[in-house]
Amino acid sequence: MTVAPSTPMERLPEKPVSRSREIWQTLIANRLAVAGLVVLALLVLMAVLAEVIAPFGINDIDIPNRLTGPSMSHWFGTDDLGRDVLSRVIIASRVSLQVGFIAVGFALAFGVPIGLVAGYYRGKTDSILMRLMDILFSFPAILLAIAILAVLGPGIRNAMVAIGLVYTPIFARITRGSVIVVSEEVYIRAARSLGARDGRIIFRHILPNVLAPIIVQTTLSLAFAILSEAALSFLGLGVQPPNPAWGRMLAEGRNFFQQAPWMGIFPGVAILVTVMSFNFVGDGLRDALDPKQKSVIESRGQSV
Amino acid sequence: MSDPILSVRDLRVRFGTKRGVAEVVNGISYDLHAGETLSIVGESGSGKSVSVLALMRLLAEPPAAIAGSVLLHGRDLLKASHRDMRSVRGKDLAMIFQDPMTSLNPVRTVGYQLSESMSLHLGLTADSARRRAIELLDMVGIPSPDVRIDEYPHQLSGGMRQRVMIAMGLSCDPDVLIADEPTTALDVTTQAQITDLVAELQQRIGMAVIWITHDLGVVAGIADRVIVMYGGRFMEEAGVNDLYAAPNHPYTDGLLGSLPMPGADRPEKLVTIPGLPPDPVAMPPGCPFAPRCVHSDASRCHIEVPVFEPDRARHLVACHYPLQVTA
Repeated sequence: MTVAPSTPMERLPEKPVSRSREIWQTLIANRLAVAGLVVLALLVLMAVLAEVIAPFGINDIDIPNRLTGPSMSHWFGTDDLGRDVLSRVIIASRVSLQVGFIAVGFALAFGVPIGLVAGYYRGKTDSILMRLMDILFSFPAILLAIAILAVLGPGIRNAMVAIGLVYTPIFARITRGSVIVVSEEVYIRAARSLGARDGRIIFRHILPNVLAPIIVQTTLSLAFAILSEAALSFLGLGVQPPNPAWGRMLAEGRNFFQQAPWMGIFPGVAILVTVMSFNFVGDGLRDALDPKQKSVIESRGQSV
Repeated sequence: MSDPILSVRDLRVRFGTKRGVAEVVNGISYDLHAGETLSIVGESGSGKSVSVLALMRLLAEPPAAIAGSVLLHGRDLLKASHRDMRSVRGKDLAMIFQDPMTSLNPVRTVGYQLSESMSLHLGLTADSARRRAIELLDMVGIPSPDVRIDEYPHQLSGGMRQRVMIAMGLSCDPDVLIADEPTTALDVTTQAQITDLVAELQQRIGMAVIWITHDLGVVAGIADRVIVMYGGRFMEEAGVNDLYAAPNHPYTDGLLGSLPMPGADRPEKLVTIPGLPPDPVAMPPGCPFAPRCVHSDASRCHIEVPVFEPDRARHLVACHYPLQVTA
């Protein structure tokens, strides 16, 4: 019995549907995610053009006009030294986004390789690396960041390192979990059966398959990193005066909350909007990348 | 006869498990000659897949412990360094896996995966690897290979994916192709196409094939020699025609009896073998098949492990009471 190699039994060539396009379509079907994306795009634009947009200099002191409420000339009012709150909020967006991105980049750069190595090699390597991560993870995030800053000294650069270090174990854990699942796949064994070395298998075959959860975690972590930066600056450990940061402005506004609530409200709103936007985008991405996994809220609602 | 390409001697594989040591492969030996197709047949858990994974050194050690020797062109693979092993895999020994749905990386294109081993072993540039990848796809019967090469596995049917796997296996002209149940996950029509394809390519390229399967029907079409495996041991080894015409081992006889024979006037009731395969953690002391064998006796079969009688060179059987004594 001889059957010709190509037969009509095989499926006809179909139109290739790109996976990235499918993901994009799912994402933009989600209204909250789209809103988040738009706000984030505006925020980034604002941060980049901060100096051009800001109507006043961040340290233009105008004592006669101190603690004036929102008006046509000062949309967000002025603070206790007569500085324009709007300008300070705009300039501070730069710091917040910068700290968020660099800190999360730091966490990614360390956490993902640690997770890849631990999940792929298992055994002792895994135990040692993950126990180290567990130690970092066992401290409340902000407390650990404060401890690190107490050692390194306050300042924006050290704040980035501290926040990055605090978020490293999250990425290590998420990566490791997915790597363990993917490592068991036949195609990994098949790659090995072709003579591929470990490094190649880890970075070219496993990493692309575990990217989805890492991407989602990155967006969500950006939100938390910005929140952490605000908290550290609030405590005076992050951005040092006279440079503005949302957390700092919130702390300063606290003293004048009765007379000049706008001093605290506007930076607070800025934090809220930024963090929520990242969260919405993160949720949308998770739904788009992994339709099987329900959002935390959904699954909680079902289990209760 | 020329020297064998691959010579396996007393290969043993054990796994440390929570319940104790599982003896999965218990001392198997065979030779494979150039251009030959050897089929290893056995039911699930007989150790057939593990035995080939062990010789490719694809089992994690521990929990696996491998003993014996595997000589490829006279070199013992079980003593080779990891580095040497990597240069053997894909180049000298290639493998096709059971389920084509899971043996291709879903996030890489067909072309990427096909070119990979060629750039690893043959040092081809991206351009020439791509050209050869298209040739290979054409050779395994994939229509419009220049389009298919940029597609992802999910865009191909099961049969096509297995063809891609075969193309990957053949990409570096291996001496030995190990096919681990390559047709099990496919429907019957596609099965026949794949077996014919491998047989045809083997003739063209001249490699040796180890074909692992549980399906004696598939074996009949392609194998030169058949080894029947049970409980981690070889039960019977013979040329394919000898084995079908005159099975000597009660287990082989039972397997053949359980095959439906198309064309018979009134289908007889299929024979089944009572019982279950032995637990690898608690192997019976004698013949592994003894507990299920109608011919076994307590004095010998349950105590003494039967072995191949080496003088009956062409038809080997590991049984104290073989069914036929025509060698």
